[in-house]
Amino acid sequence: MPNYLSNIRPDFTPALVQCGAIACYQFKGTLSVELASGRLDRSQAIQLLEDMLTIREFEEMIVKLRSGAYDPLPNFNYRGPTHVSIGQEAASTGACAGLQGVDYITSTHRGHGDSIAKGCVALRAMDDAALRRRVPLAGSGKADCAAVRHDELLEAVIEDHVFRTIAELFGKEGGYCKGRGGGMHIADFTLNHLGANAIVGGGVPIATGAAMACRYLQNKRVVCCFAGDGAYANGVVLESLNWAAMGQYTNDITKHAFGLPIIFVIQNNHYGMTGRALKEVTGVATLARRAAGFADNNMHAEVVNGMDVLAVRDVMLRAAAGCRQGQGPYLVELNTYRYYGHSLTDPRTEYRTKDEETAWKALDPITIFSRQLLEAGVLNKDTLAALEQKVRDRNARAAQRSAASSDPSPADVIKYMYTDTTCEVVPESARQTKIVKELPVIKRVNGELTYKDAIKEALIEEMLRDNRVIHYGEDVADYGGAFKVTKGLLEAFGRERIFNTPISEAAICGTAVGASMVGLRPVVELMYMDFALMASDQISNQAAKWHYMSGANVEIALVIRASVGGGKGYGGQHSQTLESMFAHIPGLYVVYPATPFDAKGMLKTAIRDNNPIMFIESQLLYGLKGPVPETEYLVPLGLADIKREGSDITLVAWGPAVHDALKAAKILYDEQKVSAEVVDLRSLVPLDMETVLQSVRKTGRCVVASQAVSIGSFTGEIASNIMAQAFDDLDAPVLRVGARDGIAPQSHILEAAFLPNAQDIVAAAKSIL
Amino acid sequence: MVQTVIMPKLGQTVEESTVVKWHKREGEPVKKGEILFEIETDKAVLEIESFFEGTLLKIVVAEGQTVPVSVPVAFIGQPGDPIPEVKPISRPAPSAETASTPAAAVPNVRQPLSTVTPSTSIASPASGVRRPAQRGINLALAPRRAGSDIPPPPPVRKIVSPRARRLIRECVISADPIPGTGPGGRVVEKDVQAYLEAKNYAVLKITPGAKNLARKNGIDLLAVPLTASRERITVETIQQAIAEKPKTMSKMRQVIAQRLTASFTTTPHFYVTVSVDMTDLLEWRKIMKDQNKPFTVTDFILKAVALALVEFPELNSSTDGHATRWHSRVHLGMAVSIAEGLVVPVIRDANDLSIAELHECTAGLALKARDGKLTPDEMTGSTFTVSNMGMLDVEHFTAIINPGESAILAVASTIPTPVVRDGKIEVRAIMKITLSSDHRLVDGACAARFVNRVKSMLEDLELWKSMI
Repeated sequence: MPNYLSNIRPDFTPALVQCGAIACYQFKGTLSVELASGRLDRSQAIQLLEDMLTIREFEEMIVKLRSGAYDPLPNFNYRGPTHVSIGQEAASTGACAGLQGVDYITSTHRGHGDSIAKGCVALRAMDDAALRRRVPLAGSGKADCAAVRHDELLEAVIEDHVFRTIAELFGKEGGYCKGRGGGMHIADFTLNHLGANAIVGGGVPIATGAAMACRYLQNKRVVCCFAGDGAYANGVVLESLNWAAMGQYTNDITKHAFGLPIIFVIQNNHYGMTGRALKEVTGVATLARRAAGFADNNMHAEVVNGMDVLAVRDVMLRAAAGCRQGQGPYLVELNTYRYYGHSLTDPRTEYRTKDEETAWKALDPITIFSRQLLEAGVLNKDTLAALEQKVRDRNARAAQRSAASSDPSPADVIKYMYTDTTCEVVPESARQTKIVKELPVIKRVNGELTYKDAIKEALIEEMLRDNRVIHYGEDVADYGGAFKVTKGLLEAFGRERIFNTPISEAAICGTAVGASMVGLRPVVELMYMDFALMASDQISNQAAKWHYMSGANVEIALVIRASVGGGKGYGGQHSQTLESMFAHIPGLYVVYPATPFDAKGMLKTAIRDNNPIMFIESQLLYGLKGPVPETEYLVPLGLADIKREGSDITLVAWGPAVHDALKAAKILYDEQKVSAEVVDLRSLVPLDMETVLQSVRKTGRCVVASQAVSIGSFTGEIASNIMAQAFDDLDAPVLRVGARDGIAPQSHILEAAFLPNAQDIVAAAKSIL
Repeated sequence: MVQTVIMPKLGQTVEESTVVKWHKREGEPVKKGEILFEIETDKAVLEIESFFEGTLLKIVVAEGQTVPVSVPVAFIGQPGDPIPEVKPISRPAPSAETASTPAAAVPNVRQPLSTVTPSTSIASPASGVRRPAQRGINLALAPRRAGSDIPPPPPVRKIVSPRARRLIRECVISADPIPGTGPGGRVVEKDVQAYLEAKNYAVLKITPGAKNLARKNGIDLLAVPLTASRERITVETIQQAIAEKPKTMSKMRQVIAQRLTASFTTTPHFYVTVSVDMTDLLEWRKIMKDQNKPFTVTDFILKAVALALVEFPELNSSTDGHATRWHSRVHLGMAVSIAEGLVVPVIRDANDLSIAELHECTAGLALKARDGKLTPDEMTGSTFTVSNMGMLDVEHFTAIINPGESAILAVASTIPTPVVRDGKIEVRAIMKITLSSDHRLVDGACAARFVNRVKSMLEDLELWKSMI
């Protein structure tokens, strides 16, 4: 019995809550000690320095390019951001060095170091076959390097890694994101880098969702979530910390007690853009204290010297090991420093002193670790100089190659906006669906189902078909959802696949993005579409953008079910029809079925599609009955449907407005023998304009109706398209019907006046007949 | 130095003129005395020569535009010279003189006062929009509401939906006769369909060539004259329709129409005809011709008329309906038929001219008239007009009085006619002359005496001999 029934008793016993302790700067190791203990070998030690040098060289190149001082590329005009992390190399390098090649990271707008370090670590973990696949021109049979030995292959691949990183910085087609992402989004998803995120804090729920997927897939992988001190005041980060520490992952209500394998790494360089965590924009001296607010074990929080690559590596090794044993989540604060300002235009003098900078530069991670390598005899002056020269030359070659490489074609400016792939065949590993208990019974009367049950049936069928499909949202599990759409699914599929979430809409959507990146096919529910605005960054900047921004490096297969509450007298914050807003965000699909048949067929299609989809439902329609075949069927997205044929006027609508349009069509016929054709758009994005145009070409008149407020409504998009593409077919201007340009009121009288109805459509139609 | 070419004021009463054609393009060199452009006044098309030497830097007034006189139409100078800015020119307010012109209905004019619109387009003649060389309507002819500032109602635009318009285009018909039943009277597709059905459009057999030709020439397929083959519309049908298509009158034609309509409808005409025996005069004319004095019949008639007018001041007068004005001088108008219509050059002080001088003067004016070279001043100010159709083989005709005059003499052909002379029938060269008189100024007896005076002079060979 997966249901969890609380049994909370009043207990007011006097007590003191202990918040425990957070360890700071406990690392006592030195290079010699680490080498002697065997936790680090000599080549690994050299690699740490090499990676830090590569990062430093890369970022100094950016600084020099801006002043024309980068000798390998004289007169090169670099356009783009300059968020360098010089000074923070130990944090990036040490953290990635504590991970395994297959582990995941998410990063930030100041993420060059993270990306370079993660790449180098992942590449070093590859076998020769995998390396060879990455060698340039591999597959064509003529590799452009003569690499045969492992070290040669690795070197070639690392140089390619630097090249593709610089090429992305330069906006080139050869970059990791094909020039679509640029300096703030460099990521190679094939190396399990889940994206450098330019929305501060935006990557944290993605990392959390990725960890959730790792937990679900039990793949023993760990997610390292890099974010700066600035992010730790952002709502979605706090939502994510809570999410990662949810009790249901580890306590007795789950069958798979395993904490989320995630390490939240705070790269505390002390400045947001310029805002100071210390004293100014937070109330704590130690950011790691955040952990105490979310987990009774303080997420094993530690504060570590982020200028010491060995200390960072040490804490990450321990945290990753703990994660692999189900002890996550972990929180690590790396105390580090950004030598430059937020970007190169930031003079830094407004908010910090030269003395402060000098004090930190005295602890330069590269200088100190180089000295340690000399002292330990791992390197001598010559080999150190040779290493430095090797990195410098490699970067220079990569930079020159990048500068000379091709730009993306302007014709391809919106290429990669969407993927046209779908999950047609479920991999064998995902077909083993365990049914915990019998499936909920769905009552079919005369072949008809309610809209709500049609959605439930679609969810059940798709969850049976593919165990990567999981469903979560607020109150969807034991309670079956606020509108009982998911009632019975918990009992059938268990809490691993359908579970309640905290009231954290941004984290609901953001974790789904991360889970999708790692291979799940999440379907999440937003109880009211109004709440999508709480999650708008995760929907619009993350879900919508990653496929394009990564240069089609990753697909976000994700369905966000959002229901519209309009018509119930719930007032301004529970009644909005917001599909137009999301249709305005390229990268998302936006669909809105109006009948049980379409709801089921389109939800099944949406779940199998590899694009992020806003699947909009209407609470007004949940009880609507209609024929739904028992046999398997799909309704394609981007195909409008003629719900009633007619010849005199076209009524285009979607969602509940389709039913108003059908009523209006009947009234028009009964009163005036006017034959109205009703086109149900069904899908706003992708948009089937052809069906609409065909109808308008036939009738010459059109009214476009939706329940959205008219101002800025997608109805305008349809009208404008008709005008542009079928002007000569029009006998009258295209009119729009929508809600009044106002806020949904509670009063039934007012709401009736607010929402459009069949009579409004009739009136509009009559005015152009 | 930039020189400004202005719209010349070629006649005292000319207020505006239309540029018909530029003979030079912008950037072309221009020599002093070369023809620079052609203008059309309400009376004629004239070539204007350049006073300046240099390069035509800028054309300010494009072909087809009408502008007031004396405004800049172009600039001539050296390449690179700065070109002065030209402010948009508004049409001059109607002068008192033109405003007093009786209102006349102007046919086929949708936009009163602005068949040409210099006020809006003059500032940007180089905009590349070449206006069709529209023979604009003379301002003086436009309807005007005395004492009222109420602007004329905006022209009514036929509202046709895009869908209906497409069908109309496809069917090559005109939207004008189609009644609209849509909102606001919009013609919608079903109106067009109903119209096509009512007109049996479906029955028409239109060849593709005919359809294309009709579309190109704006011919309404439902308005073409159907031939014997009835429903069949061929290229030939369309060519006929094109030929029959109403064409806007030339400015000259419009002026003729307006003036003569006004005269004929507001002046009470009556007619008196006499037969003039020209036998003797014609014989004497042959003798004169042999003596290298090639007088024409017209010369004799004009001279006779000029002399008679001195004796009959009623016939050399004008009226506004309230007062009469006798002219002390005789300026004879001489109607001359030219290709484009009719012009009336004026022989000033005709009564003071000898027959030889008259001959020289009429010959010169007739030549200039046929060449279109008459200046406006040469065509205004007549006090009496003679219209001679003698060379056109007509027995008799009546003429319409030139506005502002009291009478006009219509001279028919001289025809050998049996007449009774001294009780015997003889064949004589008889010419009928008919005087049209304004009954407000002239009574029948006076008119009769006048024509008989002319007749008697023409038949008095001794009189002519005495004048040589």
